This record gives sequence, structure tokens and C-alpha cells, in this order.
Amino acid sequence: MDKKKIILIVFGVVVLAQLFIPAKMIWDKEDVLETGTEYKFRTAPVDPNDPFRGKYITLSFNEDVFIVNDENSWERGEPVYVSLTTDSLGFAKIESVTKVPPTTHQEFVKATVGYVPGNGSRNVTIDYPFERFYMEESKAPAAEEVYRDSQLDSIKPTWALVSVKNGEAVLKDVLIDGVSIREVVKNNRENIE
Amino acid sequence: MSIQKDIQELLKAEVISKEVASKIEVYYKSKSSSSSNKQFIAFGILGAMLVGLGIILIIAHNWDELSRPVKTIFAFLPLIVGQIASGYTLLKKDDSVAWREGSTTFLFFAVGSSISLVSQIYNIPGELDSFLLLWMLLCLPLIYVMRSSIASLLYLIGITYYACEVSYWAHPTQESYLYWLLLALALPHYYLLYKNKPNSNFMFFHHWFIPLSVIITLGVVADTKEELMFAAYFSLFGLFSLVGNTSFFTQQKLMRNGYTILGSLGTVFMLLMLSFSWFWDEIRDEPYPLNEMVFSAEFVTTLILTILASGLLYWQYKKNGLKALQPTSVVFLLFILTFIIGFFSVAAVVLINLIILAMGILIIREGARQNHLGVLNYGLLIITALVVCRFFDTDISFVVRGIMFVSVGFGFFGSNYWMLKKRKANG
Repeated sequence: MDKKKIILIVFGVVVLAQLFIPAKMIWDKEDVLETGTEYKFRTAPVDPNDPFRGKYITLSFNEDVFIVNDENSWERGEPVYVSLTTDSLGFAKIESVTKVPPTTHQEFVKATVGYVPGNGSRNVTIDYPFERFYMEESKAPAAEEVYRDSQLDSIKPTWALVSVKNGEAVLKDVLIDGVSIREVVKNNRENIE
Repeated sequence: MSIQKDIQELLKAEVISKEVASKIEVYYKSKSSSSSNKQFIAFGILGAMLVGLGIILIIAHNWDELSRPVKTIFAFLPLIVGQIASGYTLLKKDDSVAWREGSTTFLFFAVGSSISLVSQIYNIPGELDSFLLLWMLLCLPLIYVMRSSIASLLYLIGITYYACEVSYWAHPTQESYLYWLLLALALPHYYLLYKNKPNSNFMFFHHWFIPLSVIITLGVVADTKEELMFAAYFSLFGLFSLVGNTSFFTQQKLMRNGYTILGSLGTVFMLLMLSFSWFWDEIRDEPYPLNEMVFSAEFVTTLILTILASGLLYWQYKKNGLKALQPTSVVFLLFILTFIIGFFSVAAVVLINLIILAMGILIIREGARQNHLGVLNYGLLIITALVVCRFFDTDISFVVRGIMFVSVGFGFFGSNYWMLKKRKANG
């Protein structure tokens, strides 16, 4: 086989890899969206940005702390499995956090340990893998404001709608009082105009 | 073309023969076509780069009015266009550098835009470092398959960005040892360039990008024994100076020699930084258990770099003698001695100042020998910088500082005057 053919074959493999990776990402996420269980996580959004992927809002979740027996056995950045349940209002609640995937039929999310206080309070924080919600660049800062305003008059619940399946999670939408934050920002703008 | 007129004139005057005249014409024709080809390459790359970056920016707007399937199509569209262009190039335009570099540049950015759009659609958080790593890995083969130097340069930027993101900017930071493997994967291309096109512009860019990337990234090994990193950087800059002093580089213009320039500037910068006493006060105050130090990553890095630099130093000394060595290329050994002294004695800071002074004088002498005003004034600037640094040392008397300034000022006038006069006298 001559050199040219080998180069073309390698090129073909590279092309397939470049197509396969994004396609696989889409496939996995679609699967979670289609067949996963939905959870509502109470949250508060703020707005940073990423040089390549644009503006997004970072979500800080209310239900992101759990109490451990021994602080020293938990380390920042280590993977953990968060088993989920729901509270009386239908919002997601941490049932338990383990270092190995749970074997029960309960839904769980693979997350990482965020912050270990080290002062004996035993409150360990979790970083969920769905803290980013990409938004159109003009809407992301507005989203933060809309959220802040919604907390002023009467506190409206804000939550992230997350689809969960076998440890994987996909963030579907962020809602304020049941309305998508994108819509809220849009309506707000129309009202002002 | 004016050269045509000149040739006619020379033919008439019988200065050159017809044969020579036609040879000259052919030479100039081929020269002008190669320069227009170069322009074509440059604009091809620039165009592809702008379009590619533009697409990334447009995508970063996050068009949330578009539905998911529409966005998905847009995620693949630029990627497929880039792949078709690159495939076409391989099949039909394999000999055209402009086609290869242009289509690869576009494909490089299309891969990035594709992953980033998928991340947006599904709100994939993945920190910037994992995004960059995936992007670079998917584009690494393009360097070799497309024989593309631009892919190599973009890849070098990408992995450097990645290493900085992981080791300097992220919380908590990690040591990105992966960077060194990623860098090693790009080096065969550098070697091929050296073999096949040692004088090309792409080679020129690589001579700058590779040392710069290593300088930026060497700091990632710093953990708790940061002070040792000064020795590591000295050895790195020494190594670069020595690489720049090999016969391959000394035959080229100084501008092309990123190793010499970066090695020399780096050495001078570090010396000036350490000519203040704060660093030395600190290392004398802190306990340094020897066994802890020897097993630290910083120590191992310093050791490896020092061995490499010493080896090269010895080799060059054997081959060309002491005179051919640059003053900057031995500083790393002097620094290690000074560093050890620094643990016990305040004399180290004096030694550093003396090293800078000696380096300045040697470089001035070198400039005089080469009859090179740039090198001469570089030496003078080093001494000036030293004097300026001492200006802020309040424990030196005003009179002494004043005399230092005046004498350096006179040094500038005197040496430049002397050099210009010597040049005039020579012709």
C-alpha cells in the first residue's frame, strides 16, 4: 500500500473521530433527556462567560450540602454518587451520598466533592455536573437580574429542571415560578418596550 | 520590470553574455512567483483563521430561539465543510501548501466550534480545560495527515492554554504533566520541518512558539518548593541559550533565533529579580529539609534541565572552545553555586549583582568584537537595569548611587561614539 493511501485512511479515521465525538455527546445527552427521570433543583443563577462557548449562567443549588461522619475521609474533587429523592413540594433532595454507585433502583447523579470545611462542621458541599446554563449573550446578565427581582417582592421558587439517568444528568431548563427563564427575560423586555 | 531594462543595457555594453542574461531573467521570474505563492499561503491561512474564529464567536452568541435540531445541524455544518475541503486538498491539491494550510486551519476551528455548540445545546458544564484538551486531541492528527504547520502552531497554543488553565487558573490547581506528553507529540513535525524546510517561515514561528510554550508551562511543576523553580528556570534559559548557539542557529538571522533571545532575556530578567535581597532573606529563614527537597518535582525538574544544559555546554566547549560560548549560557551553573551559598550567607545577593555586571561587560565586549551596535547596547542596557534596580535600594548611599548612574551614562556615550568612529575609520 503506498503512502498516499495510508494518509487517506488515517485522514478518514480522523474525520470519523471528529464527527463521532460530538455525535456521541449528543447521543448520550439525548438518551438521558428521552428516558431519564426529571428532578427540580432549587437554585439561584449568576452570570459569567467562557471565551469559546459564550455566556452562561452558573447555578448555585440549595440542595448541595450533606453531613458526613468524618470530614477527613472526603477530598475536594473526588467523584461521589448522589442518590436523589423529592421533598413534599416536589423538589429534589439528597437522600444519601456514597463513594461507589448505589446498587438500589433509586436514581442518582455522579458529582464531585466541592468544598470540605475542615473545621469540624462536617458539612461537605457537592459540585453538580449541571451548573452551567448557556444563554443568548444579552439574556444571561438579564437572567441574573430577573432572578434577583423575583426574590424581592414575594419569593418565587426558582429551579433547574434536570433529567437524570444512571448517574448521568442533563440540564433541561431553568424556571422561575414555573416559567422558563428565557421566556421570563423575553417577556420582561417586551413589557419594558 | 526595471531589471529587464538593466539586463538590456548590460547586454548592449557587453558586460554579460546572452546566456547569463536569460539565466538572470529566469531567476527573477521564479523568485517573484515564489513570493506571490507565499502571499497566497499567508492570505489563505489568515482568511481561514478569521472565518473559523468568526464562526466560533457567532456560535458563542447562543441562539436560544433556534430549536435543538437546527442547532445540531449548525454544529456539524462547519465541521463537514472543513473535512470536505481537507479531503479534497489531500486528493487533488496535495502539493499546494496554501490549500493544505488553509483548509486545515478552517477544519481546526470547525472542530472547536462543533464541540462548543454541542456543549451549549446540552448545557454540558465541562470546564474550559477539558474542552481544550478534547479539541486539541481531535486536531493533533491533522498536523501529520495534512502536513500542516499551522495546525502544529495552533496546537501548541492550545496545549499551552490548556496547561495554564489546569495549573495556574483553575481552583484547585493541578500539575498538568499531560502537557509534556502533548508537547512531545508535536515535536516530530518540528523535526520534519528542520529536515525539509529549515529556512521556511513556519520554521521561524516554531523557533519562537516552542521555547515560549515551555517557558510559560515550566512553572506548572511548582508545588511547595517554589524557590527551586528559580534554579530550574535558570537552567532552562541556559539550555535555550546553548541551543541558540548551535551552528544551525548561529548561521541564521538573530530574529529567527527565538532560543538565544528568549534564553538571554530570561536569564537577565531572573538575575535582576534576584538582585534584590527579599528572595535571599526568605530562603535563609525557611527550613529546607534535604530529603524532602530531593524528592520534590521541582528538584527533579531542575536536575534534568541542569544535566541537559551542562551536557550541551560541555559539548559546545569541546567543539568550539571557550570563546564561542555566550556569556548567558554559563549563568545557570553560577546560579546553582550562588543558590547553595544563599542558604548560609548574605553574600549570595552580592554575587548575583556581580554576575549581572560581568554579563553586561562581556556582552558589551562581544558587541564590540562583532561590531554590532545592537548587542553592545543590550549589554549597556543590562548594566543600566542593574543600576536602576539598585536605585531603589535605600541602604546604598546617595553619592554611590549617583556615581553609578553618571558612569553608566558616560559608558553609553563613550562606547557608542567609539564604535561609530571605528566603523567610519573602517570604511
